[in-house]
Amino acid sequence: MNNLRKMFVLAAKDLRSEARAKEIAPPMVLFGLILVFLFTLSFPPGAGRAPVPGPVVGAVGSRELAGAFLWVSLLFAGILGLSRNASTEREENRIEGLLLAPVDPAALFAGKALANFCYLWALEVIVLPVFALFFGVSPGPLVPGILLVALAANVGLAAAGTLFGAASQYVRARELVMPLLLFPVIIPLVLGAERLTSSLLTGGGLVSQERWFILMGAFDLAIVAIGAVAFEFIVNE
Amino acid sequence: MTPPTTARRSGTGTILLTILVALGMAVGIVAIFFWVPTANCLVPGAAPGQPCFDARPDYIQHIFYMHVPIAYVAYLAFGVVLVGSVAYLKTSKRRWDRLAHASAEIGVLFTGLCLVTGMLWGRPRWGTFWTWDETLTLTFVLFLIYVGYLLFRGMASDAERGARVAAVIGIVGFADVPLVHFSMVWWRTLHPAEVVINPAGPQLPTSELVTMLWMVAVYTGLYILMMLLRTRLGRAHDALADAEAAAEDRPAPPGPVGRSGAVQAGVQP
Repeated sequence: MNNLRKMFVLAAKDLRSEARAKEIAPPMVLFGLILVFLFTLSFPPGAGRAPVPGPVVGAVGSRELAGAFLWVSLLFAGILGLSRNASTEREENRIEGLLLAPVDPAALFAGKALANFCYLWALEVIVLPVFALFFGVSPGPLVPGILLVALAANVGLAAAGTLFGAASQYVRARELVMPLLLFPVIIPLVLGAERLTSSLLTGGGLVSQERWFILMGAFDLAIVAIGAVAFEFIVNE
Repeated sequence: MTPPTTARRSGTGTILLTILVALGMAVGIVAIFFWVPTANCLVPGAAPGQPCFDARPDYIQHIFYMHVPIAYVAYLAFGVVLVGSVAYLKTSKRRWDRLAHASAEIGVLFTGLCLVTGMLWGRPRWGTFWTWDETLTLTFVLFLIYVGYLLFRGMASDAERGARVAAVIGIVGFADVPLVHFSMVWWRTLHPAEVVINPAGPQLPTSELVTMLWMVAVYTGLYILMMLLRTRLGRAHDALADAEAAAEDRPAPPGPVGRSGAVQAGVQP
């Protein structure tokens, strides 16, 4: 079995156990919906449907803010799933069984990250339409753009979440420590996703925003590479 | 295993360095307050001796001779964290880990000082303590990343694995810095123009340049001194942990198990 196949097998194992236990994705999605509901509640009704007002110096339109609110909601909901997925291996020392298996730590990292990647997509596939509905924006033309943004964000989030999730298993109060380690590091990713989403929502599209994609892509590459190399130092006894 | 070196007292080198840094700091403070001309504005285009934006002398500018060396030491310290972390993962030698840990602590301290001195300067000069300029934001994010690193170190339940995981965090944190920097530059394109201040202009008078370089040297000496003391403390800490672990390996009398029990067993055999 090569490493790529091992990665898929490991991810499938995570997803299968989640399909039976249903303890990661449902709470994560529900929390995401609650957050989006709370944030969109603070906007004036139909803020997303109203025509975009002309630029006023110093003023920030609600559509620009909406991108930030959306990604903060997704991040908060996402960290629930990421930290839960990390701690499942810790329970009943399942991680020792995994380490006994003839698996490269890099494949272990990739498998975990792939499972996290799937959880993040599950979260977004449900939360994004509800967000569009609550916010009153017609989602049709935005779908390809937002999927691209979510893809760029999810790769890095899943990889960083896997790395810091594993890292925070070795401290007391691990659910508390993980966001403190993770959030400052993923700032480039979150800022990029927010800026691109705001650009989509204000009708700017993704044209001339390619540098944000380059930045997010560079982050994704760097964190995947560091994670694959460094995971071994975290999990090995 | 190397024998514990905890009993070693401060060597003459440390004492000499302490005296040098103290003297250098005193001389530097005298230079900052009495040698460097006060009303020499550092805004580009301002003629030497011209006050900044009102007729009062620009006393606040003197904080630069502290702020810039402090910022430089902070970046130096985080660079040392990176080097120590990589070396620790490669060699598993504890002294590299102690180096990284000590440097992270000092780096956080100096980043905090850098933020505070910058804010003290920004309030009279910009009219606000804080603005979301990319340099400020990047410095703040660095502060957050390494505070998280120290928090992790403080809460790690297993010393050896905690050190390895912390090394990974140190490496990720430093590798993230350029990316955070670009995201900051692009995120806030409209930052106050006053930020674009270049104190190292060619028109910088000798007194200012010499004072600045002097302070950089003094703060580098202070960093080295603090590193010496902090790594020595780390060595003592590790030696204590080893002694406790050795005591724990001995058959303990029935009663409280774990760390406290082992210590009692060591004290009252």
